[in-house]
Amino acid sequence: MIEGSRVRVSIVGVVVLALFCALFARLWYLQVAGGTQLAAAANANRVRTVTDPAPRGRILDAKGREIANNRVANVVTIDRRLDPAVRKKVFAELALLLGTTVAEIDKRLSDARVSPYTPVPVGIDVPIDTLAYIAEHKDAFPGVRAEPRAVRRYPLGSLASHVLGYVGEINEQERAAKPKNAYELGDEIGKSGVEKSFEKDLRGKSGKERLEIDVQGRVLKTLSTTKPVPGHDVQLTLDLDVQNVAESALAEAMTTARQTHDASVKDKFENYRAPAGSVVVLDAKTGSVVAMASNPTYDPNTFAGGIPTQTYADYNNPENHYPLLNRAIQGQYAPGSTFKLVTSLAGLATGRISPGTTVDDKGFIDLGVEGGRFQNAGNVAHGTVDLPNALTVSSDVYFYEIGRAFWGDFHRNAPTGNAIQDEARTLGFGAPTGIGLSGEVKGRVPDSAWKAAVHAERPDAFPYAQWLPGDNINLAVGQGDLLVTPLQLATAYETVANGGTLFTPRLASQVLDLSQKRVRVIPPTPKATVALPEGARRAIMAGLRGAVQDAKGTAGTVFAGFPFAQQDLAGKTGTAQVVGKQDTSVFVAINPPDPAPDQPQYVVVALIEEGGFGADTAAPIVRRVIEGLVGLPLTPIRIASATTAD
Amino acid sequence: MSHRRARLLSTPLRHLDVLLIGATLSISGLGMIMIYSATKARTREEGVSSLYYVNRQGIWIVLGVLTMAAVMAIDYRKLRDLAPIGYLGMVFLLGAVLVPGVGTIAKGSQARFQLGAFQLQPSEFTKFFLILMLAAYCYLHRNDFGLRRVFVAVAICGLPLALVMLQPDLGTALVLGAISFAMLTIGGVRGRYLAILALVVFTGAIGAVNLGVLKQYQVDRLTSFLNQSRDTRGTTYNLDQSKIAIASGGLTGEGLGQGTQTNGRFVPEQHTDFIFTAVGEELGFVGGATLLALFGLVVWRTWRTARLTNDLFGTLVCVGVIAMFTFQIFENVGMTMGIMPITGIPLPFMSYGGSSTIVCFACIGLVANVHMRRFS
Repeated sequence: MIEGSRVRVSIVGVVVLALFCALFARLWYLQVAGGTQLAAAANANRVRTVTDPAPRGRILDAKGREIANNRVANVVTIDRRLDPAVRKKVFAELALLLGTTVAEIDKRLSDARVSPYTPVPVGIDVPIDTLAYIAEHKDAFPGVRAEPRAVRRYPLGSLASHVLGYVGEINEQERAAKPKNAYELGDEIGKSGVEKSFEKDLRGKSGKERLEIDVQGRVLKTLSTTKPVPGHDVQLTLDLDVQNVAESALAEAMTTARQTHDASVKDKFENYRAPAGSVVVLDAKTGSVVAMASNPTYDPNTFAGGIPTQTYADYNNPENHYPLLNRAIQGQYAPGSTFKLVTSLAGLATGRISPGTTVDDKGFIDLGVEGGRFQNAGNVAHGTVDLPNALTVSSDVYFYEIGRAFWGDFHRNAPTGNAIQDEARTLGFGAPTGIGLSGEVKGRVPDSAWKAAVHAERPDAFPYAQWLPGDNINLAVGQGDLLVTPLQLATAYETVANGGTLFTPRLASQVLDLSQKRVRVIPPTPKATVALPEGARRAIMAGLRGAVQDAKGTAGTVFAGFPFAQQDLAGKTGTAQVVGKQDTSVFVAINPPDPAPDQPQYVVVALIEEGGFGADTAAPIVRRVIEGLVGLPLTPIRIASATTAD
Repeated sequence: MSHRRARLLSTPLRHLDVLLIGATLSISGLGMIMIYSATKARTREEGVSSLYYVNRQGIWIVLGVLTMAAVMAIDYRKLRDLAPIGYLGMVFLLGAVLVPGVGTIAKGSQARFQLGAFQLQPSEFTKFFLILMLAAYCYLHRNDFGLRRVFVAVAICGLPLALVMLQPDLGTALVLGAISFAMLTIGGVRGRYLAILALVVFTGAIGAVNLGVLKQYQVDRLTSFLNQSRDTRGTTYNLDQSKIAIASGGLTGEGLGQGTQTNGRFVPEQHTDFIFTAVGEELGFVGGATLLALFGLVVWRTWRTARLTNDLFGTLVCVGVIAMFTFQIFENVGMTMGIMPITGIPLPFMSYGGSSTIVCFACIGLVANVHMRRFS
């Protein structure tokens, strides 16, 4: 061997040695020194977690009847990781089969809300022969699966829909509000009503399956399985029978009202518009909601498996009067004369009046300034009236005088200057009742501070910053800037009815597990105790009894023929004027006013927008609901053309 | 007669390099095991026996060992005389494979002859014949290696290299380049010529990239290792999956047949070019290092033979084989670990494939041949 070559061969040896050392070093670095990160990548590669949703708990009525349950629907899903070339062909055939378009399927698949490893549903409630076709032609539909899925069902359709609410796929906002990792994209969540407020109980815990998969996403083996835990059942205080009567009475009254001439409109011929209304029935001894109706209504089943765009647009179209709105807690109205309960209590509590205090009702009062004349409905003069009488015939003048007197106190900075507002707040007005349904509004109890604030904000709409006598006079009869929800009105009457306990309205009584064992009891929750001297209560009840039981009572005609001997009843009409609209018709009833210790006591409120006087549309509804509650034959609803007393 | 026969058979065989042959066979055996592991999922999918690829590789190994024996049987100096014939034959086949209809197109290059159920890859065999031819030429002009000879030598290397590039098979072309450079270095080409040659090759490579001689995917693959954190689905997919597989092996591996990357078929071409990832994942650092050590043993024995022999031809042959193995091992294992660009080069004795296996054994045959006849 040549000497030069020998050296060069040695060099080759050194080069080779260096290269091998590099390989060893790199191997050590990858596998031993710094392997964890890449090893984790291998796990991310091969392990897929598939969620097995838990069946949602049922919603039951007070007697244990199902109002919401689940049904099994046949759902066609597509694996999102389908090869794009195959995809086009499969989609075309699938679109034809499901009666949809390729664009629609594409849209569903590109829905980022669904995790990439969760198959995307493209058809729900697919007919059985379509399923069979897909099953028989498996090879033509790679990545397409037909599988049963639990879909929320409301077997009674729209009944109690505003209380129940509905479910839908969680959105980013809702997900951000929940604890981290509590929900995955695509999970179902209660969007409103009981479905939302009892989400934690109803939801259950979804199961998880960890799968080892290959590069094409095929499952090699199951690594671990966690079974889903079904959600708990929620038993409501709602009684389906009463709910049914309330809803049908409300609907019927609204339909009839629309065919009835509104005689109070003199310059043209017009029927009541009656676009919307609500009914609330409370168990006054516990604060439980026995029925809650809102009309127009909707069918929560339309939300199951994704609501069609058109339906959703219809729900939000002003022409349809927003059927998703639960007017019992989201509608704000002037309560009209039903508010005289509050004014009465304020007068009695401050000693401004006693039950025997009389006023000579000439049909109006005049403050002696421009716009200072306030009159009774229909300008009727009721003569000398005491408190019970004033409530029975609904003398505005009697309460105008109280309002005027309190304004005087206000003007003198006397502590009773805000007596009506204080009493209203004590009875729960101006704040949400805390029923636990989302979207509840708080209403408004106007006072001098409020007026100053709105004037500062919009001087054009509210030219006066001062709290004027007229403001207080209007407030005394439930007019002006006062706003209440039907539920607030019901809880206020409930407080007086039961002797002074203001409850947070209760919707559910207990939560049950799958074997119907009680998980938790939801007891009645008294929120406040209102001082209610027995004399005051008796005088008010006498007035309210008269309103329904006396021939001269504002609702005497509506309740003609009602068996008061066996069913004692008290009530109050309300007619609220709304600028540019027909009157709001309101009626509240207490049945019975003085129950025996083991006898249930109910408060029923009905309110119809643009329904005329309280006795016109609202009172007939309440009569029907009470007949339903106590098991009397139901009276057909007759709407009066226009009563003259509110 | 019996005396002569005894001398003929026993003398060279007495100097048989058992370590070299043993290491080679061990690697082949491990290769078969790993091919089985890497094709388990694949065969299930293809609906063939789970031993399909292993059996075929077994046949190649047997044919390889027979070829090795045949190469060892003839004195390598006789092979030197036959080198030009073999070389010209190979050049002819390399040309023929490019003729449309004669060669088969697979995976984007026209590199194979279809022979029944088997495919012959002339570029693999070119390595063997180029080593012989170049060694013979350098040996012939060992005392007079002027510039003209350098040109001829470069032409000898360049002709098959160009033909392989036309297929195109960049990986094999690089192997041929490495063999050529190493052998010319040892063959007596002066340092400054080597430097110039290196410069020319370097410039040519840059020109090839910039002038579009290389296909875009080739450029991407060659450069992707420089920028490894791009995306797992694009160009770096192979590399990422390959690194993930090796890294998840850890010190002792996930166990034979237990590799999740391997069973899930996350690494493409795992039974051929990426066979090392199966070793890395299932046998861990211990297995990978053992394999590298076995390769080191093969190269060391070859290097030792290169130094032991007194014959420049023998030395050159050994250096050619060293260059070929070392380059293939470093490039192949290096690419699976992300320190070398991805090119289609098989791992000697490990990767599934007939031509490669047979040629590797033939080359070992050359080395063993030089080793056992180094005294004669």
